[in-house]
Amino acid sequence: MTDEEDRRRQQGERRHPSEKDETAMPRRVRDSGRVRAAIRTELEEVAEDTAERRPGPDEKLGPGPRQKVITLEHIYLAFEEPILENVTFHAREGDTVVVVGESGTGKSTILKLILRLLVPDQGKVTIDGDDITHLKFDDALKVRQKMGMVFQGAALFDSMTVYENVAYPLREHTTLDEDEIEARVREKLQFVDLDPDRVMEQMPAELSGGMKKRVGIARGLANNPEIMLYDEPTSGLDPLTTATITYLIIKLQRELGVTSIVVSHDIRSAFRMASKIALLANRRIGFFGTPEEMTGSDDPYLREFLGGF
Amino acid sequence: MILDTFNDAAKRTVYSLQEFFVLAGKALGFIFVKPFYAADLFQQMDAIGVGSLGIVLLTGFFTGMVLALQSAVQLQTFGATDYIGRLIAGSMIRELGPVLAGLMVAGRVGSGIAAQLGSMRVTEQIDALNTLGTDPIKKLVTPRVLAALIMMPILTIINDFVGIFGGSIIAKVYLGKPAALYWKTVFEQILSGGFTLHYIPNDFIQGLSKPFVFGGIISLVACYFGLKTSGGTEGVGVATTRTVVTASILILVVDYFLTQVLLAVFSP
Repeated sequence: MTDEEDRRRQQGERRHPSEKDETAMPRRVRDSGRVRAAIRTELEEVAEDTAERRPGPDEKLGPGPRQKVITLEHIYLAFEEPILENVTFHAREGDTVVVVGESGTGKSTILKLILRLLVPDQGKVTIDGDDITHLKFDDALKVRQKMGMVFQGAALFDSMTVYENVAYPLREHTTLDEDEIEARVREKLQFVDLDPDRVMEQMPAELSGGMKKRVGIARGLANNPEIMLYDEPTSGLDPLTTATITYLIIKLQRELGVTSIVVSHDIRSAFRMASKIALLANRRIGFFGTPEEMTGSDDPYLREFLGGF
Repeated sequence: MILDTFNDAAKRTVYSLQEFFVLAGKALGFIFVKPFYAADLFQQMDAIGVGSLGIVLLTGFFTGMVLALQSAVQLQTFGATDYIGRLIAGSMIRELGPVLAGLMVAGRVGSGIAAQLGSMRVTEQIDALNTLGTDPIKKLVTPRVLAALIMMPILTIINDFVGIFGGSIIAKVYLGKPAALYWKTVFEQILSGGFTLHYIPNDFIQGLSKPFVFGGIISLVACYFGLKTSGGTEGVGVATTRTVVTASILILVVDYFLTQVLLAVFSP
């Protein structure tokens, strides 16, 4: 504290807001710095904690080298302006890769490329080693049957009941009879911790946000896909439901060994579920590695990004 | 500057037309390709056909009556009131029945299809269909187009009959013409246009080929704007309005050219 401030305090004078203290940081910045540091510390704790508890893919898949299930190689994509430039990363069998980044950086576009709903201007996307970049529409539909997708808003068909929603991919692509379909629907609803008898005949409009997401996951799982894609699975949910959905994604990886790509801006959930994190910044992958590597990085943008949460 | 704007607008129009015709080609092509979504087809036939019955009945009935009223005044001038049945039947079967049924269905069904598909687009349900390995055109567009192609001629037949029936009431009440005379002249009109394949009256060919085309126009325009929806709920409203306006204008424009062709082909 300066002599001038000391004098003012003794005399009961207060500093006018327009008077700047050149020697000290503004209070808001100081507080923000403290909060960011605290959050960063929390993330580091989460990373260390979950690294111990996180299911290694080997738990389900056994030891030995795991194959690359999804790869994006030198992807370039532009609409009216560039969206992605030289984007390269991969997911091995049983991995959960979380793609994080600021809003509007093209995270969801990556999912559309993997689903072959979009075709990159350059580069290639491979699924199980097969290049899907230039597939015809019908062949792309077949590749999509290997994948389950959970949308940001769940995207349940609102003219169908929960049962019909979860049964939809089974009716479309399998020859299961109605009893087998019902058994599968019940199994998947139970997997996402929903009571089949209670929810099966409900319409999507009657469900809460969290229940819709869980039904969305059950529908994505119905065909037993080897790949699950999640677009902002925890956005717009309260902390408790966020934890439930995060737990479900971890459960999927642990119990079924499903390879997952999760697009999220929820960095805390990302640290809990990710085998690898891909940070999308300035149209490129700025970081690709484990959560521990991310918190341990000295990269200024990475520190700033983590601090921002 | 102006040239660039014109150039961009022309390119957008050509591109939209191309997209529309690609959608139409795929939707019609999928009619003959498995899997057939029979349940969806019957559901759409119910929504388009049975659902539109009330509005079509009302429109046809009052159009027939007002047409008879207006015609009666004119025919009285020439002492030709015996021919009112012919006039009503000719107008309803060839022109008013198909066009009015088309406009009513465009307003009721076209807007419904556009709103439904538009909502599905903005809530990612169309993307969900794609990711579940289903072609949205086959699942959503083809059943709607086929249902409209089947139901529009049926609705038009009902509209024609109710209109002619409405005319008979005015002929009896206002002009005092016996029902037997009215219906005799109605059949004379139908038979006077000649026949196709010896048995099918040309008036029926003209009257039923139009609603078939209008059914295609309404369903395809609605599906096109519905699937192209962007911009959230506001976009759904825009798609709905565009559907009704575009389909209505197209019905009237196509009706003119179709009439020219049909008159040339089926002139008695």
